[in-house]
Amino acid sequence: MNSSSIIVLVVVVAFAALAVWRNLKKGAPCECGGACKSCRGCSCCDSQGGK
Amino acid sequence: MANNKLKIALAGNPNSGKTTLFNALTGSEQYVGNWPGVTVEKKDGILAGHKDVVIQDLPGIYSLSPYSLEEKVSRRFLVEEGPDAILNIVDGTNIERNLFFSTQLAELGLPMVMAVNMMDVVRKNGDKIDFDRIAKALRCEVVGISALRNEGGREAAEKAVEMAKKTVVERGPGKLPDVPHVFSGSVEHAIAHIEESIQGKVPARSIRWYAIKIFERDREIINRLDIGVGEMKHIEEHIRDCEKELGDDAESIITNQRYEFIDRLMDKSLALNEKRKGKATLSDRIDKIVTHRILALPIFILSLCAMWFLAVAENGPGTLLTDWANDGFLADGWHLPFTTHECREEGTYKGMEFEDAQGEFAKAEATVAAWEAGEKKASIEDEETGEVSEEWDIDEAAYKAAKELEEPDPSKFGVWVPGIGALITGALEKGGVGDTVKSLVVDGAWGGVATVLGFVPVIFIVFLFLAFLEDCGYMARVAFIMDRLLRRFGLSGKSFIPMLVGKGCGVPAVMAARAIENERARRMTVILATFVPCGAKTVIIAMFAALFFREQWYVAALMDVVGIAIIIFGGIALKKTRFFAGEASSFVLELPAYHMPTVSGIWHHTWNRLKGYILKAGLIIFPACVFLWFVMHFDWSLNLLADEEIEKSILRDIGSWIAWFFEPLGFGSWQGAAASVSAEIAKEQATATLGLVAANMDGATTGSHIQALFGSVSEFPKLAALSFMLFNLFVPPCMVAIAVTFREMGSQKWGWFAVAFQLFVGYVLALSAYRLGVLFAGGGFGVWTALALALDAFCLWAIFRPARKELA
Repeated sequence: MNSSSIIVLVVVVAFAALAVWRNLKKGAPCECGGACKSCRGCSCCDSQGGK
Repeated sequence: MANNKLKIALAGNPNSGKTTLFNALTGSEQYVGNWPGVTVEKKDGILAGHKDVVIQDLPGIYSLSPYSLEEKVSRRFLVEEGPDAILNIVDGTNIERNLFFSTQLAELGLPMVMAVNMMDVVRKNGDKIDFDRIAKALRCEVVGISALRNEGGREAAEKAVEMAKKTVVERGPGKLPDVPHVFSGSVEHAIAHIEESIQGKVPARSIRWYAIKIFERDREIINRLDIGVGEMKHIEEHIRDCEKELGDDAESIITNQRYEFIDRLMDKSLALNEKRKGKATLSDRIDKIVTHRILALPIFILSLCAMWFLAVAENGPGTLLTDWANDGFLADGWHLPFTTHECREEGTYKGMEFEDAQGEFAKAEATVAAWEAGEKKASIEDEETGEVSEEWDIDEAAYKAAKELEEPDPSKFGVWVPGIGALITGALEKGGVGDTVKSLVVDGAWGGVATVLGFVPVIFIVFLFLAFLEDCGYMARVAFIMDRLLRRFGLSGKSFIPMLVGKGCGVPAVMAARAIENERARRMTVILATFVPCGAKTVIIAMFAALFFREQWYVAALMDVVGIAIIIFGGIALKKTRFFAGEASSFVLELPAYHMPTVSGIWHHTWNRLKGYILKAGLIIFPACVFLWFVMHFDWSLNLLADEEIEKSILRDIGSWIAWFFEPLGFGSWQGAAASVSAEIAKEQATATLGLVAANMDGATTGSHIQALFGSVSEFPKLAALSFMLFNLFVPPCMVAIAVTFREMGSQKWGWFAVAFQLFVGYVLALSAYRLGVLFAGGGFGVWTALALALDAFCLWAIFRPARKELA
């Protein structure tokens, strides 16, 4: 595996891990459009640390 | 956010136009907020042009009583947290009713500006409101606005800011505000005594509000103030004296006298247009049709059909844009529309249109295939009908010429705009990235995300349509129509409100059930709410409508109807069990006047939901597809597999282990099983997984791979596709919604019951649709058909069995 392949692989896996970490921390996004009255279930309201 | 800033609370009745004003005032800086521990919506936003002013949009409520959760939360905020000023939005077309809440707000002793909204309609109706008189009576500023037309809202907010700043400077500690006195002498006398008793225990500015609440015997306030037994006895004597004198209970006295005060005020301040008196309004006339006993339901179903027709009908805007997104923008690229697509380069195709060149190449392929098969004639068949559309004679010279013909390169024709997929592939190839990693990025990560993003046009149309129906006031009528329908079966329309919310997302739908006070009704609503296909499930409908039901767009609309039918019949069946039996709770719903929604309002609603969908593609679908690519390209010994060795992969093995569960449903392949299980991550992941699996198959397009996939497991691919769709739409929702369901149910037992019920419904529906479909299509009768019939009979019994007397 060449160096560019390794770089791309690391970037993809890192981004995927980052997304999972973010979802665990702030909740998963959803299509509630802010209708969620409390953001314990989604992260549409995450800007105020609703989790 | 709001710690060192001036806080202006936006308070008013539901449907008075608060959110429209809030959005106009805060613009793009607004965000949706929450209060810890409560589930009622409150929105915070910075007032445009005033970085130090926060506008706080409270839930729409009718009073500051402690009955509903919204009222409790709002009053806790207004009384305890205390904004610097209140901007009270009042519906000018219903001012009399709205003032009930305004008088209570005025008693809080906070600086208040009353914004009388919908003044454009008031003027149009020829009515007149005397603002000065109302201002004098309620001791506040009154301005006329039209939030919808963006008129006067800013001035009202500026006035509230000005008042808040002025009050902070002017009002010294302990100085009582000038609040209206609306009650009769004896009540005012009792209130004055109560005020004396609680002095020092409550903030001076709100002492009158507290005193009135104590007069009403508001338990929450009395308990919180810790009033001594002797003192309370003394207060109680005053209250009883009043009750005796006025012949009513304290709470009713306050309510009645409030209305009497408002009546007197309105007599002098509101001049209704004489010509309009007694005449039906436009809303009344529309309601006569759309809420008609017989026509209401067909009109609702028709509106659903219109939505799905626009979204998924062949050659409709949704399908055309989705095809462009899937095949062009997100994939290889597209030809600029409204320009010629002629070939620019020398060669066989020079001067030829791209579509003609594709036809030429298809003929060449058919010639080669026919000649190599020893035929003397070649033909092209229509893909859908299978009929021969063109036939011609071939010879060796034709075969050789056809063999040498190269596939037309679309980028050589007309103005070609490369797609994102092509750009990513090009960049990876340029960087010398190996095939395996290229496959991870292009087929895995991007492939899955692109499959989901490709349906943005369909989702956009659905959300746009829903936003229009909501904003114009029709959705409130739908709840009213459903209440009438559900009540016949002992269910309440109150339960349908969360289900309307659920069209966007199941998570807020489950949460919205919290507003239902009755525990049994709330639990039942939580179980049933997610049967309405949400935004994410719309993607599954859109994909299968595009691949299998292009000419039967109504199948998509049917999924919504099936969802509603499950809610009704599921509700009936559950109501007949001892766990959910009981009277339907009362349901009070205010029907707002119809109005033409604004473009910005609709865009705001649509974009907020669409944004969530796009975010999901990046934050959920992307990591899920990366994970799935790995388990699809590695075996149990963690050896990297080539594309043709996918059958040895971990994903294939896991899918095969559970495929038996889906076998009776007609899609018992490891791919179908993997897609269905992965859908629990997020429902649209089912489409992404199918796209991911299809990317590793030989063939022309992802769509044709998925069609082939269902064709390979069933003799009746359309029925298998329908079964897949039904299963994934009506089994338990995504894992986030399941987690919320468990939390809202309050116990593991009820959480598991909800999941089991949903799984049963989804499985029985898919099994019945497939097995009975096969039976009618001439596929024969088998064990599974018998099981499907037996389960259907059980469901019918559960729905139609007589309710036991003690449960009814």
